[in-house]
Amino acid sequence: MLELDIERRFPGFHLRVRLAVHHELVVLFGHSGSGKSLTLRAIAGLLRPDRGRILIDGRPVFDAAAGVDLPPRLRRVGFVPQHYALFPHLTVRENIAFGLHGLPRHERERRVAELVALLGLVGLEGRRPPEISGGQAQRVALARALAPRPRLLLLDEPFSALDSAIRVTLRRELARLRRELDLTIVFVTHDLREAYNLADRIAVFDAGRVLQVDDREAVFHRPACRRVAELTEVRNIWRGVVTEATAEHVTVQTPRFALRAAAGPSQPGQRVDVCIRPERVILLRPERHPAEALRDTALAAEIVSEEAHGAAHTLFFRLPGADEVPYDVEVDLPSHPYEVLGVRTRRVWTLVFPRAAVHVMPAADGEGDASA
Amino acid sequence: MSLVDLDLTPFRLSLQVGLLATALCLLVGVPLAWWTARAHPLVSGVISSLVLLPLLLPPTVVGYYLLYLLGRQSGAGRFLMDGLGLRLVFTWQGAAVAAAVVALPLFVRTAQAGFEQIDEDVLRVARTLAPPWRVFLRVVLPLAWPALVAATLIAFARAAGEFGATVMVAGNIPGRTQTAPTAIYDAVQAGNSAQANRLAAVFLAYGLALLVALAYVARPRRR
Repeated sequence: MLELDIERRFPGFHLRVRLAVHHELVVLFGHSGSGKSLTLRAIAGLLRPDRGRILIDGRPVFDAAAGVDLPPRLRRVGFVPQHYALFPHLTVRENIAFGLHGLPRHERERRVAELVALLGLVGLEGRRPPEISGGQAQRVALARALAPRPRLLLLDEPFSALDSAIRVTLRRELARLRRELDLTIVFVTHDLREAYNLADRIAVFDAGRVLQVDDREAVFHRPACRRVAELTEVRNIWRGVVTEATAEHVTVQTPRFALRAAAGPSQPGQRVDVCIRPERVILLRPERHPAEALRDTALAAEIVSEEAHGAAHTLFFRLPGADEVPYDVEVDLPSHPYEVLGVRTRRVWTLVFPRAAVHVMPAADGEGDASA
Repeated sequence: MSLVDLDLTPFRLSLQVGLLATALCLLVGVPLAWWTARAHPLVSGVISSLVLLPLLLPPTVVGYYLLYLLGRQSGAGRFLMDGLGLRLVFTWQGAAVAAAVVALPLFVRTAQAGFEQIDEDVLRVARTLAPPWRVFLRVVLPLAWPALVAATLIAFARAAGEFGATVMVAGNIPGRTQTAPTAIYDAVQAGNSAQANRLAAVFLAYGLALLVALAYVARPRRR
C-alpha cells in the first residue's frame, strides 16, 4: 500500500524513516518535533527528501535515485492538516469541490452531495468557514480530502484543536468512515490515548527516527527500548542486570529489588531495562497474601504520596529501607477499587508484579540504538 | 482664473505614465513578491533588499542610471532601440519605466505582506488537490487580494507623482513628456503661482481620493 524509506537533513535535525503501511490505520506517534508531520508531508509530496523512495500501491511517487518526484496532486493522497486549513473565501460546497475540477459539472455536484451527506453537513453547503464550528470545519476538511477518492488519507493531528467531547465524536466518525469507505490511513498524533484508540499499528517517532513499529498492544506492553517505554508512559522503568534465565522466567536485579519476568531471550549477566505499566501492578493486603507464597514478584511497600485524577488515582510507593528516594513504584488504580480496598486509610501494601506484565528490554547505552 | 483655463495635457501624461508604470509593476512585482514570500529566507532576503534599493536612492540617481541603461551608450539600450525598436529616452514610455522602478519597492513590499499572511497549511492542502496555476488563481490571488489592490494603488500614486527619476529619463518637454509634477515645478520656476496653485490643488484632491480608496481596501472585515 505505502512503503517509504527516506532521509532528509535539516540544520540540527536528521529525519530517517523507514515504514510500510498496509491496508490499515497506522498512527505516527511522538512528541512535537520528532519528525512525524515532516514524514506525512514527504508522503504527500509537500516535502522533498534528500534521498530514498516512496511507493504508493507499488508505484514510485518519489525515487531520488531515479529522479521521480510526482507533484502532490498526482499522488492521490487526501491531506487534512491540524487547523482544518479550509479555504476561507470559499463556501463549504466549493471547499469540498476544490479537488474535483476535472469532473463534469453534474458528477462534481453528485460527489459533493454524497460527501455532504456522509459527513453530516447537510444545510451548511452555502456557509463559509468563519460561519461554522470547529467540529463542522474538521468534517469539511475530511470531506474535501476524501472527495477525489484518494488511495491514502493523511491526517496531521486533525483533532488536536478541538474540545475533548467533539474529539471523541470525530474519532468515532473516523472509525466509521474508515469501515464504510475501506480507507488506508496514516494518522499523526502526540496524544497517546488517541494513538491507542485509533491505531491498528503504531510507529513511535523520536528525534527524526522510528524507534518501533508494531501493533498497538506490543507498543504498549512490549516497548522495544527504554525510550519507547518512556514515550508510551510506562513510568516504572529500572536499570538492571539479568541474574537468572530459566525456561519459566527471567530474574532481573535492579539497584533496589529483584523482579521476575516471563521467559525471554535474555542471558544472565546482560544489562537490561525492565519495566511495568503502572496500571498493571496489583495491590494486595499484606496479612492475607504472604509475599513468599506467590510465584510472581511481591514486595512490601508504603504509599508516600498520591494524586487524584477523578476516575483514577496514582499512588507512589516506596520500599522499606531507603528514605533518600522519593518513591520506587508508581501504580494507577481506578477510583472504585481504590475505595473498596480502603486505600485512603491503609498505607502499607504488598505490590505484585505479574510476570507477564514485567517487560525486559536490552539496555540502551547511548549507542547501538534500535532504529527501524 | 478658473480650472477651465487649465492645460490638462500634463495630467493626461501623468495618468499615462502612472498606468503604464503600474502595469509594469504588476507584471514584474506579482511574481517577484510571490516568489520572495515563499523562497528560502536567504534568497528572499537578498532579492527583497535589492528591490528596496530604489527606495533608498535619490530618484534622480535612479533616473541617472536608467538614462544610461536605456540610452545608446549601453548594450541594453542599443538592443532596445535597434533590436526591438523601443525608444525610451525622452519619451513618456521611458518616464513610465523610470516611475515603475521607483514604485516597484512599495508594490513588492505591500504585495509580499499579502502573500505571507496566507496560511501555509491552506496552500499545502490546495497543492494536494489542484495544479499550481489553479492554486494560484483560486486560492493565492483571492486571499492576497486586498493587499494586491493596496499595492496597486500605492504603486500608481507613487508612479503618477514621480518627478526626479522621470525628469532625468524623459526630460521636461511640454506636450510630450511634461507630466503634472514637472509642470508644477516649471510654473513655480516661472513665477506663475496661479498655475502652480491650480495644478497642486488637483494633486491634493487626487491624493485624498486615493487615501479614501486605500482605507476602503484595508477596512476590517469579518473573517
